Order: sequence, then structure tokens, then C-alpha cells
Amino acid sequence: MHELLLFASVPVHQHHELLQQLAGLTAMQPRHCLERRLIFKAYRKPGLVTARTGASQDLQSGDLQRLNKMLNGGMFYTQVVGPISEGDFGSAPIPVPTPDPDIQMAGMDDAKPSVTESPHSHYDYERQPWKLEFRDIPEAGTRSAVTTRVMSSALLPRGDIVPSMNAWGYSFVTEYVVEGDMFIHNDIVIFLHRVLHYPTAEHEYHEPRRQLPVFSEMAPLEKSGSYVLQAAITVQDGSNQETMKTASQHLFGLREQLRSAVRLEQADRLSLDTRAK
Amino acid sequence: MADSFTLPLRPLVEKRERPDTLPVEIAQINSQWGSFRDVNEDVLRARIEEEKERDGVLEAEEREKNGAEFDMTERLEQLYKRRAEITQFAMQAHMETMFALDFVSLVLSKHAPRQAETSMSAFLKQVAPLGSLDTEVVSPRPKPETASKDVSAVSRGWRIQNFNAAANKLLNAAARLEGEVASETRYWNETLAVKDKGWKVSRLPRERQALGVQYGFLEATPVFRDRGLASLLRAEDGALLLDRGLVASQARFVRVRVKQNGGVSGGSTLTHPGYNIGESIEGRILQARDAVYEEELFHELVREARLMATYGVTLRQDLIRIPAADDLEIVLDLVDATEATFHSGPESSQHDSLLADGLAHSIRLLLAYAHRQNLRRRTQVPPPLTPKKRTTPEYHLLRPALAYLQHMSSVRWLESFLEDIFGVLRSAGLETSGYNADVFETWKRPHASRSAPVEAVIEQFLTPIESTFTGKLLTPQSSFTITVRTSLSSPPFGTNFDVSFDFSKYPDLKSPGRLGVEDEVQVALTHLLLLDIVSMISSDDLFALTADGKDPKDTRRWEAVYPHLGELLLSSSNPEKHQKMKVTISRQGLSVETYLVRNIDGIGRGAWELRSTHPQAKTWKSPSSTDKQAEQPSLIEFVSAETSAPADER
Repeated sequence: MHELLLFASVPVHQHHELLQQLAGLTAMQPRHCLERRLIFKAYRKPGLVTARTGASQDLQSGDLQRLNKMLNGGMFYTQVVGPISEGDFGSAPIPVPTPDPDIQMAGMDDAKPSVTESPHSHYDYERQPWKLEFRDIPEAGTRSAVTTRVMSSALLPRGDIVPSMNAWGYSFVTEYVVEGDMFIHNDIVIFLHRVLHYPTAEHEYHEPRRQLPVFSEMAPLEKSGSYVLQAAITVQDGSNQETMKTASQHLFGLREQLRSAVRLEQADRLSLDTRAK
Repeated sequence: MADSFTLPLRPLVEKRERPDTLPVEIAQINSQWGSFRDVNEDVLRARIEEEKERDGVLEAEEREKNGAEFDMTERLEQLYKRRAEITQFAMQAHMETMFALDFVSLVLSKHAPRQAETSMSAFLKQVAPLGSLDTEVVSPRPKPETASKDVSAVSRGWRIQNFNAAANKLLNAAARLEGEVASETRYWNETLAVKDKGWKVSRLPRERQALGVQYGFLEATPVFRDRGLASLLRAEDGALLLDRGLVASQARFVRVRVKQNGGVSGGSTLTHPGYNIGESIEGRILQARDAVYEEELFHELVREARLMATYGVTLRQDLIRIPAADDLEIVLDLVDATEATFHSGPESSQHDSLLADGLAHSIRLLLAYAHRQNLRRRTQVPPPLTPKKRTTPEYHLLRPALAYLQHMSSVRWLESFLEDIFGVLRSAGLETSGYNADVFETWKRPHASRSAPVEAVIEQFLTPIESTFTGKLLTPQSSFTITVRTSLSSPPFGTNFDVSFDFSKYPDLKSPGRLGVEDEVQVALTHLLLLDIVSMISSDDLFALTADGKDPKDTRRWEAVYPHLGELLLSSSNPEKHQKMKVTISRQGLSVETYLVRNIDGIGRGAWELRSTHPQAKTWKSPSSTDKQAEQPSLIEFVSAETSAPADER
């Protein structure tokens, strides 16, 4: 799948006004989103034999070639995204696990994060749903004035994701929180968001946090608190020129409509580089 | 404007002393009309007549002239002539202006040659050298005093006239402006009133200087969504006008009529709106909104009706005909509001009108529900873009209503059938516990839904409708269950009867399962009851009853030889005196026949049966049948009588 994007920077004083403008444009109420984003980095497992390609190259079977390509291809950072709610922040940890795992399991269903939860509910790391999001570096040398990149998403099992990710050759790097509002305008997903950092702790976290700090302690990455407006369209088949053209035309249409409010433009390609070196 | 002061714009008219005093005027009249002595009434009247005639003649002449000129070619000719005149005139003026320009330029060229040269014509430059003409100030001869007095009087007159004209223009402008301000104020006040009532007032997307009000439904099909916007125009006096463009002003409504046996027996009444149509701007907006809703409703109904051709729904230009159930036909059409009220005729019935009203309300509610679903779908993260276009599926408007009617009809049929057949059993003196009906069971069940309560109610209406009938049989621990399930939205389509038996006596008896046709259900159930009666007759209970007070060895019992055919055998020691009983049951009645068979063991059938010619028969009719029956012995009495009667008496 391909993703076409346009970005704009929104200063904090314009945020409220823009929310209202977008609500009017899309004829829907903003959907507030809070997401935990864990960053994982791919690494080469030690002991992996890199098949030497030499004179025997012709003898390699197709499957082996593909496998080699996969193993020795580019290494990328990927994100694991999990939706959370405001109530999850600063909530008390889950009570100490009782010896009987069944009772514990029964209690966990209630702790499932949902919007309607009371602020005193528990944040249950073990029930946190996750989604793996892979984003390639934006395509280079496109004439079009939109950012285009290959993307893919996959659902992951709930709970502690680090062991599975390690097994797949990814190591945990860091995590942050994204806060924002989402609008849907026909095929375009408009996401007005900003990145929040966890408060600096004494010790480095080498794995995802099992409980979240109080929300007010979260500090925006951009000190002024400004937001990023992201307009995205996903396209099933990136090789279909017709669809890609339609998608970028939709984005340009949105850019025209929002011209008096914000300037949507292409992002710097290298700033969206996800390759691991 | 209380502290306003008026500024006189008109010049003050001086009250000059009249130079034309009366003697002067008298002298003037004398010289013009002759002496006053000649003036009398007749002379004056004659003069007036004369003047009138002259005017009349002139007018008549003019009229004639106009009439004559109506000739087309002449008019054209005249038009060209006039145009030529105008052009000529303009050319003349141009020429003269150019002459004047040349002249002034030539004069000026004496003093400022360079500047003047630019405005001189080429011809003049060739002919006359620069600076060849000079001017000199000449002191004019002093004018006589009378002339200067005349000039000043004339210029004064001119000035006053011009002042007056200017003042008039200003005052007119002021009056116009005042009117404009008043009407503009009224327009904006009314617009604000509309906005305060909660309507969305915005600029029109195409005419950016005009205001529009959005009254349509955002979730409607794009065609109708875009029509939900009308511009708010200002009338001459500032009143608000709702301009809906090229839409028929007459409001139209979807009318539902119910036809019974071909004749219209009921129609939906147009619910009177709670606003005055056309009275206020609010009323007009509401009317426009209703009209758009109705038209969208009909559009969607037509779309769905096309899909429902398999159910026999036919579609003509503006008419949808739905054969609902039995002899019931539903007709939907879009009519003007004046026609929309249903006038009850001789064939109309209260029930059908209620039905039509219910249908009319339900399709509107379902459309509103579909709008809500559209909003939900629209605000979900969209699927990736593909070349294939996403289409909106047809809404469920008619299907749930039709499913309800079909279900109702099936349930009624089943009820009447069960009523009949259990009536037959009761009239035969069999103590049945009857049956239990749980109609529209699915709607009574608590419905778990995450959507809003309003939507949850409608969601229930969209699920397949189920009704359950349960009944106990005569044989203990035996029962039957029939579940009637109707769904037109998801397969299996239509009405299905799920029939299941719990009959311990015949464990090999399979439940027929899902049946689609009413006759099959009838056959299955009748057969079950036949088996039930046969097993009852051959049961131990009845045996005990008939054997009461007799020697057990002496009594014989009925054996169910062919239970599925309703045949029982009372074997006898005499091989020629076997007695056979045949039970038949139908919706109309239950009949039992006993006769002697003369074959060896009594088991043979058909020609081998060798039945006697004097059967004993008994029939119990359903109590609903018209012919009154005399008091009859019950089935049990009949059977026990037959059992105990010695066979050789026949």
C-alpha cells in the first residue's frame, strides 16, 4: 500500500480555530486520539550467514534469493502503535498478581482501556492492543508535490510486545505519545496532532513503560506546543498511476480549501527517513 | 435620530417684490385677449372646447402615426436611419473636437511648442508651422448696464435652477438610502432570526456574495444533500425570500396506500406539520426541508424497489407496487401535498388506514436511521483507495416493513391452523393443553447494542423477525416447536418455519427442520398429531381404562400396525374376526373408522385386507364449522366401546 501525505505546521494559538474550521469542513466532530508509539529498530541477528554471491549465483533457487534479499535488505525503524485513553495516565498500577491466574484474567477484562473509563481505572499493559506500522522512506524524485511512501500496517497481539518484536529481529529504542484529533474528509484522514514526551526519569527505560505518568507531566516535543496537521490518503495499489493521481488530486483539493487557514505542503524527504544505519 | 437637525439643501427663494403688479397684468391681458368687456361665459366655454379639440386631434394623429409605424421593415429602416444619424452626429462631434484641439494646440505652440506639438494632428503640423498663431488679450467694450443686468439675472436664475436640481437629487438619494437602510435592517434581522433558530447560515459556495441557509440532510445522497441549500434573497422591501432554484415549489409527499383485493382500502394521512406553510420564513424553510426529505425518501424507495423485483415488486414511473401478503398490496407514490390526504371511500377500513400510516412512519424512521448509519460510515477511517468506486448500498426501508407484514401473515395462518386442528381434538373430547404462541419473540428479547438507544430500537427492527409456537402432545413428554423466522435482509430470504418434534414414542421420527411452504408445515403437523392419536389409542393408559374391571386376559388391545397411515389392529383369536381401526385427521375434522378384516393376521393392506362392508365410523368436526353437531361421544368413549364390543356381533 502507498500513502500520500501533506503536512502543515499549526501554531498553538491557531489550534482551536483550526479545529473548528476542520469540523466545519468535514461536517463531523473531531475524534480525539491518544496513542503510545514505541520505536523499534531492526538489527542483524548475530551468527547470520550472509550468503556470498559469487560464481554460484545462478545456482541459487528463487526462494533462497528472495530470503537472502529479505535478510540482507535495508534495515528500518518501525513503530508499534497502541491506542490509549486519558484515563490511563497516572492511574494506579494493577494490583499485585494473585497466585491464581484465572482470577487475574477475570479482572483484566474490566481494565481494558476504553474512553468511558473512570479516571481511577487501572492501566493494564497486559491488555494493551498494538498495531505495527511500517513506513518506508518517501519516494525520491517524484515530480508531484506530495509526499509518497510505501506503508503497511498489521495487528499485533495484545500485551507485552517486546519479546515478539525481539524474536522478529527488532529491538526497543524509545517511546513517546501522540495526542491529537482526527477528521475524515472523504478519503482523506486529517490528523492534527503533536508529540508528547514522557517526563525525564532518573533511570533510562529499556523497555516500554508498564504504567503511564500523570498526563499533565507529559511535555510536548515542540516547546511552544504547536501542532502538526497531517493529511493522508492510502492507496491500495501504488503502481496504478490513475489512482495515485486521483489521490494526489484529492489532497491538492484539500490544500486549496484550507489555503486561507494553513499551508499544506510536502515534507522534507530525509526528515521522514526510517532507515536504520 | 431625535437630535437631528435639518439642513436646508434648497436655495432660499427670495421674496422679490413683484414687478408684475396687477396693472401690468391687466395691460398684458388686454393686449393679448382684447378687452374684458368681450369676455363672457360662452366665449370662454367655446375657447375651452376649441383647445380640447385641438389636443384631441393631435393625440389622434400621433396614435395613427404609431399604428402605422408598426410595420417591421419600416421600423428596421428607421432604426438604421437613426443609427446612422447617431454615428454621423458622433463623427461630427469628434471632428469638431479635433478641430478645437488643433486650434488650441496651435495657439499654445507659440508659448510651449514641445508640449503643444504632441496634441497637434499630423496634417496641421505639415500645413502650419509651429507658433504661427498668437493670441492677444483685448479689453472688450464695456457692455451696457441693461445687458449686464440681464446676464446677472439669467445666471442667477441658472444657478438657482441648478441648486434646486442638486438639492432634489440629494434629497432623493437620501430618501432612497433611508429606504435601503430600512430594508437592509429588516433583511439582516430576519436572517439573524433564522440563524438564532439554529439553522446553518453560510455563504453560497458558487455565489460568494449571497447568503444561503442549509436545511438539507448532510448524510443524504449527494444529489439531495446538495439540494438542501437555498439562497436567502432580499425582496424589495427587505423581506427574506427563500430561493431554492429550479425546484418545483409545490411540496410533494410519499403516499402509502393499502389495497385489499384490488380496491384501495386505506391510505396514509399527511401528518399536518406543526408550522404554517408559507407564512413565515421558518415555515418555508421547514417546508423545503420536508420536501427534500420526501423526495429523497422516494428516490431511495425506488432504488430499493429495483432490488426487490424478486419479491414481485413492480415499478412504474412514479408508482411502486408491492404485493405484501395474502391479498394485500401496498402502493407507494409521490404526490402533491394537496392530493396526499386520503379520503376514505366505501371500501376503506380503519385497520388498513392504520397499517398505511404505520408504514409511512416506519419508512421515514428507517431513512433517518440510514442517515445515521451513513454518518457513522463516513467518519470511520476510510479503506485504501482503489480504482473501484465505493457505492452506497440500498437502504433497508421497504424490506423490514415487508418482512413484518409477511411474518404477520404467516403467524396468523399458523395460529388459525393450530386453532382449527386443536379445536378438532377438543371436539373429539381429547384433553390437549393447547399451544403457546410467542409472537415477535426477537423484539422482546433484551437487545445488547452499543449504539444510541434510538438506533438500538431500529436495529431490532432490522434483525430477522422470529415467533415461536410450542405445544404439548397427548403422549406424555412429547412436544413440538415451530419457529417462524422472516428476513428479507439476509439469507435465508423470506419466511421459514423451523419445525421440530420431541416425540419419545417414535425416536426414529425425524424433525422436518426448516420448511419454506405453509402446506408442508400443515402436512408435517397433521402427521405428527395423527401419530400422537394413534399412540394414544394404543397406549397403556387407554388400555387400562378399557380394561377397567375386566379380566386382563379377556381384554384385547389396539396395536398400532401402521401408525404412519393411522391404522390400528385389534387382533382376535378368530383369524377372520380381526378388527381394524383407521384414524384420519385433517384441519376440518377427525374421523375414526373400524371394520372387520378377514385375512389371517390382519396385517395385510389394500386388496389383501378383505375388509367387511359394514364399517363403524365416527367423525368429529372442528367446532368452527357451521353445521351444528349433536352431542357426540368422545373419541375415548368410542374406542372403548369398540374395544369391548364383541366382534362377532357384527
